[in-house]
Amino acid sequence: MSTRSTARPQAPAVPRRSKRTEILENRPVNLDGFVEEWPEVGMVAMDSPYDPRPGVRVRDGVIVEMDGRERKDFDFLDQFIADHAIDAEAAGRAMALSAVEIAHLLVDPKVSRRDVLAVSCGLTPAKLLEVVKTMNVVEMMMALQKMRARRTPANQGHSTSARDNPVQVAADAAEAGLRGFRELETTLGVVRYAPLVAIALQVGAQAGKPGVLTQCALEEATELELGMRGITGYAETISVYGTEAVFCDGDDTPWSKAFLASAYASRGIKMRFTSGTGSEVQMGNAEGRSMLYLEIRCILVAKGAGVQGLQNGSISCIGVPGAVPSGIRAVLAENLVASTVDLECASGNDQSFSHSDMRRTARLMPQLLPGTDFICSGYSAVPNYDNMFAGSNLDPEDFDDWNAIQRDLQVDGALRHVPEAEILAARSRAARALQGVFAHLGLAPITDREIEAVIYSHGSKELPPRDVLEDLKSAQSVMDRGVTGLDIVKGLEAGGFPDMAEALLGVLRQRVSGDLLHTSAILTPELTTLSAVNDANDYAGPGSGYRPSGARWEEMKRLRHVVSARNPEQEVG
Amino acid sequence: MSLVVGVDIGNSTTEACATLVGEHGEMTFLSGALGGTTGVKGTVENVSGVVEVVRRALAAAGRDPADLAAVLVNEATPVISGLAMETITETIITESTMIGHNPDTPGGAGLGVGTTVAFAGLPDCAAGSAVICVVGAGVDFEDAAAGINAATLRGVRVTGVVAHADDANLIANRLREPVPVVDEVTLVDRVPLGMRAAVEVAEQGRTIRTLSNVYGIATVFELDPEQTRLIAPVARALVGNRSAVVVRTPAGDIADRRIPAGTLTLIGEQTKRSVEMDAGAAEIMDTLRRVRPLVDAAGEPGTHVGGMLARVRDTMSELTEMPVDGVRIQDVLAVDTFVPQRITGGLAGEFALESAVALAAMVRTSKGPMELLAERLRAALGCEVLIGGVEADMALLGALTTPGTDRPLAILDLGGGSTDAAVSSGDGAHSVHLAGAGDLVTNLIDSELGLDNLELAEEIKKFPLAKAESFFHIRMEDGTARFFQEPLPADAFARVLVLTDAGMHPIPTRHGVEKIREVRRSAKHRVFVVNALRALEQVAPGGDIRHLGFVVVLGGSALDFEIPDMISEAVAAFGVVSGTGNVRGTEGPRNAVATGLVVSHAAARAVMERALHIPR
Amino acid sequence: MADTVAARDGAASRTLSLVEKGPALPGRRSDEVVIGVSPAFGAFFSRTIVDIPHADVLRELLAGVEEQGVQARVIRLRSSADLAVIAHTAAKLSGSGIGIGILSRGTTMIHQKDLLRLSNLELFPQAPLMDLETFRRIGRNAARYAKGESPEPVPSRNDYMARPRWQAKAALLHIKETGFVQPDAGPVELDVLIRLADAG
Repeated sequence: MSTRSTARPQAPAVPRRSKRTEILENRPVNLDGFVEEWPEVGMVAMDSPYDPRPGVRVRDGVIVEMDGRERKDFDFLDQFIADHAIDAEAAGRAMALSAVEIAHLLVDPKVSRRDVLAVSCGLTPAKLLEVVKTMNVVEMMMALQKMRARRTPANQGHSTSARDNPVQVAADAAEAGLRGFRELETTLGVVRYAPLVAIALQVGAQAGKPGVLTQCALEEATELELGMRGITGYAETISVYGTEAVFCDGDDTPWSKAFLASAYASRGIKMRFTSGTGSEVQMGNAEGRSMLYLEIRCILVAKGAGVQGLQNGSISCIGVPGAVPSGIRAVLAENLVASTVDLECASGNDQSFSHSDMRRTARLMPQLLPGTDFICSGYSAVPNYDNMFAGSNLDPEDFDDWNAIQRDLQVDGALRHVPEAEILAARSRAARALQGVFAHLGLAPITDREIEAVIYSHGSKELPPRDVLEDLKSAQSVMDRGVTGLDIVKGLEAGGFPDMAEALLGVLRQRVSGDLLHTSAILTPELTTLSAVNDANDYAGPGSGYRPSGARWEEMKRLRHVVSARNPEQEVG
Repeated sequence: MSLVVGVDIGNSTTEACATLVGEHGEMTFLSGALGGTTGVKGTVENVSGVVEVVRRALAAAGRDPADLAAVLVNEATPVISGLAMETITETIITESTMIGHNPDTPGGAGLGVGTTVAFAGLPDCAAGSAVICVVGAGVDFEDAAAGINAATLRGVRVTGVVAHADDANLIANRLREPVPVVDEVTLVDRVPLGMRAAVEVAEQGRTIRTLSNVYGIATVFELDPEQTRLIAPVARALVGNRSAVVVRTPAGDIADRRIPAGTLTLIGEQTKRSVEMDAGAAEIMDTLRRVRPLVDAAGEPGTHVGGMLARVRDTMSELTEMPVDGVRIQDVLAVDTFVPQRITGGLAGEFALESAVALAAMVRTSKGPMELLAERLRAALGCEVLIGGVEADMALLGALTTPGTDRPLAILDLGGGSTDAAVSSGDGAHSVHLAGAGDLVTNLIDSELGLDNLELAEEIKKFPLAKAESFFHIRMEDGTARFFQEPLPADAFARVLVLTDAGMHPIPTRHGVEKIREVRRSAKHRVFVVNALRALEQVAPGGDIRHLGFVVVLGGSALDFEIPDMISEAVAAFGVVSGTGNVRGTEGPRNAVATGLVVSHAAARAVMERALHIPR
Repeated sequence: MADTVAARDGAASRTLSLVEKGPALPGRRSDEVVIGVSPAFGAFFSRTIVDIPHADVLRELLAGVEEQGVQARVIRLRSSADLAVIAHTAAKLSGSGIGIGILSRGTTMIHQKDLLRLSNLELFPQAPLMDLETFRRIGRNAARYAKGESPEPVPSRNDYMARPRWQAKAALLHIKETGFVQPDAGPVELDVLIRLADAG
C-alpha cells in the first residue's frame, strides 16, 4: 500500500517560539525524564486504587488474614512478614487505630518514639502505607526527626576509582574520613581487583579519623568472605524485593537472605539490607501495586529477617519514582517507614538523580533537615566519573555547598570544612601507609611518584597508570594466602604507622564484643560504639533532641572563605 | 639425625627443602615447598616469605617446627633487570599519493583509472570523461549509488569509487555497472581532486596485481623511467593488499625513514665502544661481545636510547634504593622487534610494521644485608640460621641430584628477569647473569601483537592456543580438535583462545592462530635461545660450548611447554646433553638451590665427622 | 549525549512497512543472519526511546549485514518481549546460527543458537545510547560472526546521567511492549519495505 501525502505549497513553517521558552527549554531540568502515572502496572508512587485495603485477623497467635488475603493465598513475602515481622499480639490494638490517628502519633512530638514503636510493631504493610499517605512532606520530616534510631546523624561516602586504583581509593577514603563520613563503601570496575581495593579502603579509612567502617559491594559470597576475613568492616548490598517474581529472578527468597544475614551476625559483623521504590516496576513485575506499597513489604522483610537496618530511598531505581508525581515524597516515606519500624535507615541520596542542581538539592532536603542515621547512603567522595556505583546525587564538587547549607540552617549534615593542609597530610599518610602495607604483604609496589600524584589529584584521570597485571596477581595472592585484617594491622605496624594499626585493631575487636550489631551502630573516632542503645534519639519537640552546639557548631561555622570580624581584610579558617 | 631446611630466596619465589641429615652426612629428603618472595631479594623484608615457606615445608613433611635444628639460607644477591623499547623506523606518505589500507570489505573488482572528482561535482562532469568518484563523509550509500548511476546514464565513465564510510558493497551492489570501490578512507577529504588516479580491487582471497607492480603503475600513468623509479616505493608498499588507490600528484612519495635513536656506549673493563641504536640488535650484540665484560652502559643524553637507559636506571634505583648514579648496568640484551604504527600522512589510518629495538638491562646490586636478615630469621624461627655458600655453587649441587647427570655440569637458570648460567670447575663455580628472560618475552608478544595488555601477553607466553570453531569444539594449534559436552563461554565464540589453567581466554585481535604462535615462538627464540647460547659460551671452558658435558635447565621458565625443547635443539648442535632438570628426581626444574644448600651442609658435616675420627 | 541523534534535521525521513509473510521457518543458508524484532517494533511503536525511527534502525542493521556480503532475513517474535528470547529465537532460525534481537526501545543483542538463552555474544543494554552508527556496526559484527570471523565487539557505552532521564520511560516502554505479547503466536517472517517518505 502506498500513500502519497499531500504536498504543501508553503515551506513547512516552524512555529515561532518565545525567547523565554527557548531559555526554559535549555534548563538542565528539561533533560530529566518525567512520565505519567499508570497505576494498573505499578507506575505510580504511592497512591494507587489497586493497593490492598489494610486489615488483619489473628487466630491462636497466628496471623490468618492480612490486608485482605487469606493465609492460604499468601505469597512468600506475605507469609514471611506475617510470621516474622508483625507482632501478632500487638496487631489487633494497633490495626484498630485509624491511619490518621497513627500519623498523629508519628508527628506529635509529645508522643515518645517508644510509644510509636509499640503501635508500629503491629501494623501490616497496607496499614503503614495508609498512614504515610495521610502525611505531607513536612509532617513526614517532623516524624523522621523523632523516629530515626540514633540521636546523632551520620553520613556514608563512596570511595571508588574508574581504574580501580587502590592508591586513589585509600587517599580519598582518608579525606572522606577527615570530612566526617563514618562509613565508606567501595566497589570495582574489574571485580578481580576487589581484595586490593578493599584493603586500600580499610587502610585509607583509618588515616583520616580512626574508627571509620568500610565495606566493598560485591557478589554475595565474596563479600561475605572479605567480611569474615576482616578486610571489610560491614556489609550493605544484600538486596530484597517487593514481589515474588522479582525475588525469584535473583534465585532468592526472604529465607535465603535471612540466612546470609545470620552468617554476618555469627561473626559480629554489622550489616543491613538494601531495597527501594521502583525496582519491581522497572523489571515489569509490580503486580499492579504502587511502588511504596511494595517497598514497605521490603522494609518488613528486613525487619522479619532480624537485621538491624536497611539502606532505602529508591537507590539505583531513583529515576523511576523521580519521574512520577509525588515520587520524591514516596522516597521520603520509605525512609520514614524504615525508621518507624525501628530499623537503622541509610537514606539514599546516593545515585545520580537529576541534571538540575535545584532538584538535586530539593531531593536531599527531606533527609538532611530532619537528619537520618546516614543522610547519604553513598555521597560520592570521588568525582562522579570515578564513581563505580554509576554516579551519586552529590560528589566532591558539592562539598562546600553542603557545608554552607549546614551553616545557613544550623542543621547537622555530619560533614565539615577541613583546611587543605590537613587534607593533603591525610591523603599522604593514607597513601604511604598503603605503600607500607603492600610492601609488607609482598603486593605490587606503590611508587613515590604515585603517592605524590594522588595527594594533589581530584580523580583517576590525573594519576599514573598502575601495572594492572601485577595488581591482579597481587589481588589473587591476597585471596590465595588467606590474608586477613590482622595481617593489615601487622603491615601498618611494620610500615611505621602504629596509631593506624591500633585504630584498625580497634575496629576489628568490635566483632568480638558484637556491639556493632546494635541498631544504627557507628564507631566514634575514640573507638566507642554509638548506637540506638547508648545514643537513643530523645527528640520530644522544641528544645529537645539532637541540636548542633558547642564544639560541633563552632566547627560547622567554618567555611573555605569567611571574612574575619576582627579584621575584615582577612579571612578566618 | 637432625632436621634442617634449605631455603632459596629468589627474585620472585622462595623455595624450601626439608631434610633429615644423619651424623655421617646421609640425607633423607622429606619435602619441598614454594612461595612468593616478600620484598626485594636479600633484604629483611624476605623474613615473612621465608617463615611461610619453611612452615609449609615442615607441614608437608609432617614435622613439628620445634624439632627444627637449622635453616640454611643462600647468599642472596639481588639481580634486577629493566626493559625499554624504541621504534627506529617511520613510514611517511607525502601529498596523499596512495591509499594502502586493507578494508575488510571493498566492493566490486578490477582496475579503474580516471580523474578524481568529488561526489558533489559528478553532475558537472562531461559525458565521455573517465572519473574516479570520491564519496565524502555523510553521503548515504543509496544517494551515492543513485548519483553515480545518473552520471553513468549521461555517459560519464565512472571507473572507480573511493568512499569514507564502510559502504563499498552497499554502493557496488546498487550500481548498474559494477566498478571497484575502496571504502573506510577516514581522511577522504584530503584525497587530491582533479588528479589522475587508479583504483584497484581484487577478488576475494586474492591480492592486487597492477598497483603493486611498479611497471603496472608506470603503464597506468604513462610514466617515463625517471618517474617510474620515483614511484617504486609506492608499489612496494601495496604488495599483499586486496585493494588500493594510487593518485598521481606532482611530488607524491612514500618514504621509509630511519629515526635517529641515539648512540649506545658500552663500557667494558678494558675498552669502550659506541654503537648506533638504529643499527639493530645484531650490531649492538656484536659490539657487546667485543667489550665484554661489561662494566656499565650509557646512552647519549637527549636521545631515545638516553631516555631508555634513564628509565631502566630509575626503576632499578627505586627498587634497590641505590642512588641513580650508583646503578651499574652489567649486561644488556638487544632484540629486534617490530611495532604496528600508524603511517604518517596516511588517509585511511594505514599501519606499517615499524622496526624497533627492545633493550633489557641487568644490574647486580651490592650484597644485601644478609647478617641482619639471618638475625631476624633466627628471632622469627627460633632456630639456628646458617648462611650457605654462593648461589651458583648451590644450584650446581642441587642440579646434580637430577638422575643421569654428572660432572662437568653446567646449569642454565631461566628466570623472569635474567638468564643465569654456571659451570662447576676445579675451584668452585663460574657463573654469569645475563639480561633478558621471561619478562622480555612477554613484552615482545604484547607489542608485536599490539595487545597493550601485559596480562594477556603473559598468558599467550605460557599456554597453547586454539580457535573456537563452534560452541562445542576447538581446534588446537597443533591441528587436533577437542570437543566439549557443555557449550563454551559466549565470549570464546569464533575467537582465538589461549588455554590457560584458569580457563580459556579470548585474544581480542585480528590475528589468526598461526600468526600469534609465530610471534610467541619467535620471541622465545630471540630471548631464551640467544641468551642460552650467550650464557653457556661465557661459562664454558675456553668459551667453547662443546667442552660442557651436561646442561641442566632450571628456573621458572624451564616449566614452559616449549622453551626447554628449543634450547635442547639449539645446544644439540654442539654435541651437549641438555634437558630440563629434575632435582632429587622429584622436583622438576625447581628447588635446586634449596636442595644444594642441604647437600652442601651434609657434606660439610660428613667431613667434620671424618676429621673428628681421624686417629692421631 | 544521546539526544543529539533524536533530531535529524535535513535528513530524509523514511517509512517502514513490515508485511507478515507467514510462519518463520529455519533457514538453510549458512551465510544468513536473522534479525528478530519485538512484538510492537515498527507497528505500535515507530521510534526508539530516543526517537530514532525504526525504519532507519532496521535499514542500518540490514546495511551492516549486506556490506559483509551476508544475507539477512527479518522475523517478528509475537510471543515474548524478552530480548534474550527474541534474539535466541532468531539465532535458532538462522542458517548460520547467528541472530540479532531488537526491542522497540532500541535495546539490542547478538545471539548464537548453541548458547544458553541467558547468555549472548554481544549485548547493548542502554537503549538511550544507541545511535545509527552503533546499529550499523551491530549488523556488521553479526554478519562477521556468521562468516566465522572474530570481530572486535562493538564498544558499549555508559553514561551515569542516562538514569535520571530515561529510567522511567524505559520501564514504561517495557511494560507497554509486553502488552502486545500474544503468548501462543509463533514467529512470523516479514517483508521489509523501507522507502523515502514523499517530502513536500
